[in-house]
Amino acid sequence: MWDYSDKVKDHFLHPRNARVIEDANAVGDVGSIICGDALRLMLKIDPKTDLIEDAAFQTYGCGSAIASSSALTEMIKGKTLQEASKITNQQIVDYLGGLPPEKMHCSVMGREALDAAIANYHGQSYSQSHDDGELICHCFGVGINKIKKAIWENHLTTVEEVTNYTKAGGGCGSCRMRIEEIIDEVWEDLEKCGVPRPGHVPTPIPMKMVSAQKAQEAVAAVSAEETQSSPIYKEVVKLLEEINTGLKMDGAGVDLSAIKGAQVSVILTGAASRGMMKDMTVNFIQKKLSEGTGRQIELNATVRAEG
Amino acid sequence: MNTAELKPQEGIYLDNNATTAIDPQVAEAMLPYLYTYFGNASSQHNFGVPVEKAIARAREQVAAFIGAEHPDEIIFTSCATESDNTALWSALWAQKDKDEIITTPVEHPAIMQTCDFLSSRGVKVHYLKVDDKGRLDPEEMVRLINEKTALCSVMWANNETGDVYPVPELAALAHERGVMFHTDAVQAVAKLPINLKETAIDMLSFSGHKIHAPKGIGVLYVRRGTRFVPFMKGGHQERGRRAGTENVPYIVGLGVACELAQQRLSDIEGRVRALRDKLQQGILARIPECFVTGDTEHRTDNTLNVAFKFVEGEAILLYLNEYGIAASSGSACSSESLEPSHVMKAMGVPFSAAHGTIRFSLSRFTTEQEVDKTLEVLPGIIKTLRELSPFWKEGKPAISGLDHDFDADSTEVRA
Repeated sequence: MWDYSDKVKDHFLHPRNARVIEDANAVGDVGSIICGDALRLMLKIDPKTDLIEDAAFQTYGCGSAIASSSALTEMIKGKTLQEASKITNQQIVDYLGGLPPEKMHCSVMGREALDAAIANYHGQSYSQSHDDGELICHCFGVGINKIKKAIWENHLTTVEEVTNYTKAGGGCGSCRMRIEEIIDEVWEDLEKCGVPRPGHVPTPIPMKMVSAQKAQEAVAAVSAEETQSSPIYKEVVKLLEEINTGLKMDGAGVDLSAIKGAQVSVILTGAASRGMMKDMTVNFIQKKLSEGTGRQIELNATVRAEG
Repeated sequence: MNTAELKPQEGIYLDNNATTAIDPQVAEAMLPYLYTYFGNASSQHNFGVPVEKAIARAREQVAAFIGAEHPDEIIFTSCATESDNTALWSALWAQKDKDEIITTPVEHPAIMQTCDFLSSRGVKVHYLKVDDKGRLDPEEMVRLINEKTALCSVMWANNETGDVYPVPELAALAHERGVMFHTDAVQAVAKLPINLKETAIDMLSFSGHKIHAPKGIGVLYVRRGTRFVPFMKGGHQERGRRAGTENVPYIVGLGVACELAQQRLSDIEGRVRALRDKLQQGILARIPECFVTGDTEHRTDNTLNVAFKFVEGEAILLYLNEYGIAASSGSACSSESLEPSHVMKAMGVPFSAAHGTIRFSLSRFTTEQEVDKTLEVLPGIIKTLRELSPFWKEGKPAISGLDHDFDADSTEVRA
């Protein structure tokens, strides 16, 4: 069950103005039975003053759809058309003490019904006032204008949010890519109006070349992390220490450079890095490490440039 | 927390196809395996032995409950979803030359979603058609079977409508053609007599929490001789067919729940069925413009799914909840999805009704007073919501001069 606020429950169980205004002079119909919610908003407007004298609704839908309709009628009664037309869906949500994110479309529907009622009052036909532009979501019959408006007014940034507010993309999902594009288009305009896009990091353009040394250090850091997390790391270090004790007497040495799986890379120094001594040392280290770790060690030996 | 102070939650619970209350006898049987016998069944010492015996006993209880010939045909899993996944996975991996599955469009998501995934990985999935009552045609399954068919998987009973499918007949048809057969029997066990040794069913899934055991325990029955590849790999538990240390208290609880369910089956077939019928007749007699969905001739005895036209399911549920009555709905708004239930869509239930479907599912703990109380408040709820609905025009004045009106039969799609 949805976690509704007390105010939502109150407006659902005790809806205000749920009736038919027979002599309404502004009627706004939105939604359809196939989509699972529909709302008729009826207004009685004084033509001289444009004051909304009475407002009532009929709603088919879930608890939050009924509560949003009820709240809307309470909010607009006694206001002038001009005042009422400024009401946003967010104000309906606030009036109700919040709605679950998945139910935001109920507040959008209320706001749309108000627009449709005002259009009807001004003599527009149903089909005129419901022309939503290019059809984006075929499952729920949502046009581009409704999507753009919801993004613009509520600063939506994700497809999921657009679905929550308009239902677009909530069916087969084939329009989600297109919705993504629309989000980008609207935000281009929003950003021009000085609204920063939250969580949107523009692709960085590299301003200067990273120095070769820094790049090497970065690679080394990644490789060091892999080396140290190797299950044989500690054993290899210990074994190399033992080997070093022996080698030092000959004025030679071996340093660990990296471990990748069973591949161990080492750097040979001093006498061990030259000629026959080198081959012998490599064979010796490989044998020692394999015995010590119980793994078939593959040894890569490089020589440190001296001087 | 003192457990002695805990009391059953108040309210009228008519959502037993979602989950059931744990029978106190089940909980009691589990306690020693939470407090005293904590050992690992695989251990050779005195801590392990009684645990191993308890699991063996539960396995026998489960086998007896579903009429399995041998207890070793029972594999304990974590839930029916795991059992379903395992069955589909195993059928494909055990028969690498076969890559087709036949199933229905009214399956639980555990099958539907798994089939969607498999089909995106190259498996061909065939869905049998269902009619407006949810019935399917066994001949269609026969026609779809070919040498590439790895498995036929058909649920025994539907969770939303309670429709019972002719699973023994389908299994026999598949078997005659050398095709493996699996059934998701989550909604059938404890409601229908099941005797697997007299059928040709190769695999069967069910879960504990629908039969008054806790959540987190399920069963996959695999007939001896059925080729099987484990889904969970690791230790040698369940004779190498389901790795992972056994969930001992829950296995013990499930065993007891199965024994109780077997004893109480006649209560479901008698008293509970009568209560369900009373609820159905009462609703149809008192509320206009509603109808029962599914196949009322072949239906589990505890389930009733009613579609109320011109009102929306979540709103009905919210109102029922105010009276302490718990049911569920196939409407879009009562779920995370925006679409109505796939079962209603597959049966072609019109949208005007599909959004207003309510499922009442009873259990052996349901009382007549609870049914009476539901019948007392429901007509008022539907009436109130219809008074709010623009699709319900009875007794309401008409507004003249409008160029649009709401029509419940309209095909307009507009969110």
